[in-house]
Amino acid sequence: MNQLNNGFTIFLSLLVEAMPFLLLGVLFSSLLLFFVDERKLVEKMPKNPLLGALVGSMIGFLFPVCECGNVPVARRFLIQGVPTPVAIGFLLAAPTINPIVIWSTWTAFRDQPEIVVLRVVFSLAIATIIGFVFSFQKDLNPILQPAIARYMKFNPPAQPQTKRRGKRYEVQQQETIPNLLQSGTYILGGKAGIPLRIDPNLVPPTLMSNSDKPLAAKLRLVVDNSIQELRELGGVMILGSAIAAAIQVLAPRELILSLGAGPITSIVVMLILAVVVSICSTVDSFFALSFASTFSSGSLLAFLVFGPMIDIKSVGLMLSIFKPKTIFYLFAIAAQLTFVFTLFLNSHVF
Amino acid sequence: MTNKNSKSKIPNLLLPWLDPLAITAWGILMLRYWLTNKLNLLIHPNYIWFVVVTGISFIIIGFFKMQELWQRRRRDVTPNTQHISLFPPGWGSVLLLTTAILGFIITPQVFASDKALQRGVTADLLGSTRVKPQAFRVTVRPEERSLVDWVRTVNVYPEPDAYTGQKVKVEGFVIHPPDIGKEYLFLARFVLTCCAADAYPVGLPVKLPNNQEAYSPDTWLEVEGQMVTENLAGKRQLTIAATSLKKIPQPQNPYSY
Repeated sequence: MNQLNNGFTIFLSLLVEAMPFLLLGVLFSSLLLFFVDERKLVEKMPKNPLLGALVGSMIGFLFPVCECGNVPVARRFLIQGVPTPVAIGFLLAAPTINPIVIWSTWTAFRDQPEIVVLRVVFSLAIATIIGFVFSFQKDLNPILQPAIARYMKFNPPAQPQTKRRGKRYEVQQQETIPNLLQSGTYILGGKAGIPLRIDPNLVPPTLMSNSDKPLAAKLRLVVDNSIQELRELGGVMILGSAIAAAIQVLAPRELILSLGAGPITSIVVMLILAVVVSICSTVDSFFALSFASTFSSGSLLAFLVFGPMIDIKSVGLMLSIFKPKTIFYLFAIAAQLTFVFTLFLNSHVF
Repeated sequence: MTNKNSKSKIPNLLLPWLDPLAITAWGILMLRYWLTNKLNLLIHPNYIWFVVVTGISFIIIGFFKMQELWQRRRRDVTPNTQHISLFPPGWGSVLLLTTAILGFIITPQVFASDKALQRGVTADLLGSTRVKPQAFRVTVRPEERSLVDWVRTVNVYPEPDAYTGQKVKVEGFVIHPPDIGKEYLFLARFVLTCCAADAYPVGLPVKLPNNQEAYSPDTWLEVEGQMVTENLAGKRQLTIAATSLKKIPQPQNPYSY
């Protein structure tokens, strides 16, 4: 009975500590979804693959979306002609390179600041490397989901340019393709008589005409979106916290100690946990915290770096951008890089 | 056919209310923990204000949504389906609501000796690397050090003989680890960095004038005595040789930080 109450106390403490960060993350990402104009951001993307991947990874800091938000944003980036390395860098890094996530990680690991710093550095490095790797794939057809590939074929994004040509040339390239030359469904006589493009598969309806809505309606959308995300992510968070509490209370101590102390086994266990739990990145540091006393620091980092990149919940979303093969490659490379980086830490640093 | 229709309508009417209800319930739960001083048992005091603000925000968001639903109740509410979810509709709110209700029913408790033993309190507890000194004060007189101060000090300079003869006056709860003799007990406290999930026990062995049976596990004691070095479970250990042991009530805030 006491065990049960201990478990429940751990479970509750994880939830109570995580709720504020969840709320903050959800509110912030909802606000940004409705108030930030992605197109302006898109115009400023560098075309050099390595720089692009790095910048894409760092946009997360300006565009702090949780796992739920990064996939649709990455998809819109791709459709709007952002180079692939930028989009993939963003997709993998945005859930971690994010002020709220960094803050919550710091809250959880105040006495191990190196974890906070390394989490950011590793996520940035891995996302940039993978984005760079994918820049060698010039033909996007084999990796993109057919509907998106078809869309991109008919609406070619601006040609990739060399770095030397500079910004002025980029701006010139932003010429608008006449609306009616694009594929899709249209309503004639939209705002100011311009045909409105309706393509529900590619543009989420609520986001389509955000700039037209009055502030009150926008705010209502923010609240609605926040409630939806709170419900979804809150549910996942409850399951994750329950798993953490159950492992702490039920798993035999010898088993956890033997798994958690081994430099390789601890990383493998935490990588698997990251996939299984797929808890939101704003609160996953509290989950990791409950393993802090028994697991190696490298393995905690593996969880914190790999967890936000892979997410069972968002695989469904990712399938709307990429072919399954591509997603498999993305995760496989991310897992291997995380493993190598954290193993190096476990064996040489900590 | 009509029967089937009316059945499927009920969840459609109830589902939109579930979200704001669950969120409001969580807001009330968080404020309740604050008002009943239970937040101390769950999180580090630094974050209490943060939880309180969140609780209030949850209640505001919940009420805002409920008011909107109430105003729109006559109209058809089209469910917002564009948000992609892994689970069937309503599961998230049901989960949130259920946990909130459980939170109202079950009171969180202070961790006790069983938890400390499960977390691995043994005679080598002092070896814990997580207890880093937050501030090092040379001027502190030994008898003014708390249990956690002692453990931190010893971590910085682990030679037990260096402390022999120093006076001790500390508070903590009793643990009976299986691997130390009957004339000893362990005096411990839990230290919290962030929340109860990372609470870890620290403590010192106490050499008793009598048998450990006199002090049952989880009793809170104020121990006065002197530091000595003893051999416990095959290791030299800084130990409190108790001259007086006084039973005290559990402190308002049982954790150290």
